[in-house]
Amino acid sequence: MLTFKNVTKSFRLDEENTITPVRNVSLEIEKGEFIVIIGRSGTGKTTLLNLAAGLVRPTSGQVTVGNSDLAEMTDKQISSLRSQKIGFVFQFPSLLPPLNVKDNVSLPAMFANGNGSKDPGKRAAQLLDTLGLASKMDVYPKQLSAGEQKRVIIARALINQPQLILADEPTSDLDNRTENEVMGILRDINSKGVTFLIVTHSLDLIAFATRAFEMENGNLKSITSAQSR
Amino acid sequence: MQLIRLALKNIRGSGFRSIAIFLAVMSVAGFLLATTLIIAGAQYSLDSGLERLGADILVVPEGAEIKIETALLMGKPVDAWMPRENIQKVANIPGVEAVSPQIYLSSMFDSPCCAVSEMFIVVYDPETDFTIAPWLEKNLGRSLAKGEVIGGNYIFVPEGSQYIRLYGYDTDLVGNLEPTGTGMDQTLFMTLDTAVAMAESSRTTALMTLNIDPDVISTIMVKVAPEVDTHRVALQIREDTDGMVPVESPNLFGTFRNQMNGLLWGFFAITVIVWVVTMILIGILFSTVANERRREMAVLRAVGATRNFIFRSVLTEASLLGLGGAVIGIAFAASSLYIFKDMIAGSLKMPFLFPSIPSFISLFSAGVALAIVSIALSALIPALRLSRQELAIAMRE
Repeated sequence: MLTFKNVTKSFRLDEENTITPVRNVSLEIEKGEFIVIIGRSGTGKTTLLNLAAGLVRPTSGQVTVGNSDLAEMTDKQISSLRSQKIGFVFQFPSLLPPLNVKDNVSLPAMFANGNGSKDPGKRAAQLLDTLGLASKMDVYPKQLSAGEQKRVIIARALINQPQLILADEPTSDLDNRTENEVMGILRDINSKGVTFLIVTHSLDLIAFATRAFEMENGNLKSITSAQSR
Repeated sequence: MQLIRLALKNIRGSGFRSIAIFLAVMSVAGFLLATTLIIAGAQYSLDSGLERLGADILVVPEGAEIKIETALLMGKPVDAWMPRENIQKVANIPGVEAVSPQIYLSSMFDSPCCAVSEMFIVVYDPETDFTIAPWLEKNLGRSLAKGEVIGGNYIFVPEGSQYIRLYGYDTDLVGNLEPTGTGMDQTLFMTLDTAVAMAESSRTTALMTLNIDPDVISTIMVKVAPEVDTHRVALQIREDTDGMVPVESPNLFGTFRNQMNGLLWGFFAITVIVWVVTMILIGILFSTVANERRREMAVLRAVGATRNFIFRSVLTEASLLGLGGAVIGIAFAASSLYIFKDMIAGSLKMPFLFPSIPSFISLFSAGVALAIVSIALSALIPALRLSRQELAIAMRE
């Protein structure tokens, strides 16, 4: 489903300084897996996720989603891939303030070129209903709690029925109860065959993983494999 | 959800920014259209006035050029005379096809039959006239009888009366000419028979006596033969006659046209400068907003938007603001100008005729197109920056 082959990513800060948040990472993720990568801030977790989504290009190595090598794709092709096959759950508040909840959830359908849901509004309503937000469809992001916003972001990630969900700190800023609630939702989605790659600093999430890794100084180390959930 | 709907929601969601841009475009577009309309309206008015005049050359007494020009332009009183025998002198010039004399009588102040405060009386000779006759033929199918008059667009019969009483003599208003925006709109046209009857009546029934000297005239309207150079004929008139000056139609109102052009193009230049400065300020505003929206646009990219979509999205928002501001601003300026056109023309002391509907639609469309293109240009650099930004960095901000 998603493969990293000897991937390195460096950012040039100025003439003399370069940082390398991802160093020679190799990882093969199968369809239906629930991968959790833990690590402290600044260890390259988010960069790895951005590489998986084609938001940044590797300095060296190869990233493939399905059979597509992201390095060989045009911006339009990568955008199309993102809209049709990948769902994104961001760490930061990423809902668009001028749009109400339903429009925020429907937004990615706009870019799916007809390959997403045939009736995005109806699917958005169903997803919001499933996630317990049926009564919040017409409200605006600033009127939602942090947990509610996170659930709306999850619904948005699912609108085009993606095969892969990339989640960056999906439970940050959430209390324990809401964290369990959100992880329960993600696990349910995963049980329907959707692949997950989650990066987090929370060790608690390892319990949900099929495989877990730790990222340190840009290097990926396996913690456990095929852990039962 | 479509691009335009998303842009509209973003506009609505960014209240202060949208209102600021909207108001800026509205004011400048409105002001630009107003000055353009005034220039176009003045030109249109002068052109209509010249067309109404219907002569290729106007021969006037020497030294009275400005007075007659002002009389025709603004309906101001004029006192200009030359010998009637001049008519034959001009008629004898090679290339002259027709000549017809006109007599300008003193304007009447505060006449109750006129929408403006002054009225200008032109006496024409129906035997030789070629300026009023075509209109009479088309609209009345006959020439004016004794006691009948036709008026400019502002002339009307006073309420409660059937006639316009002039110097104690009742005249019958049988028609009004189309508006020209010049002094001709407050002009009353009558034949020499009517003028003589009015003068006779004034001696017994009017407070002020009207005297018409049969041996003098005010102007000679000249029609040049087809395919003959008007300028050459005018030069010949100047060379072969004394005490009179030929004024070619296109040069009539020339002094005023130059003064007006200087003033109005000055206004126009200021408006253009204001427009450019406003667009630069709007560009700076868009740049500031673009910095605030980097993460928002990165999110859009992450959920599948292409660079091209981001670029179009920013330009669509800008264009919609430009469209809305321009339409409202221009509509407001045009309707204000239409309602207050007489007041504006009066205070600027210039002729003004609201342009024809097709001309106005052209001006309106050009104004709106200019606003949209200008705003889109202002937003071009921010749009390019947002569409090409480094997503990983934008999302971390």
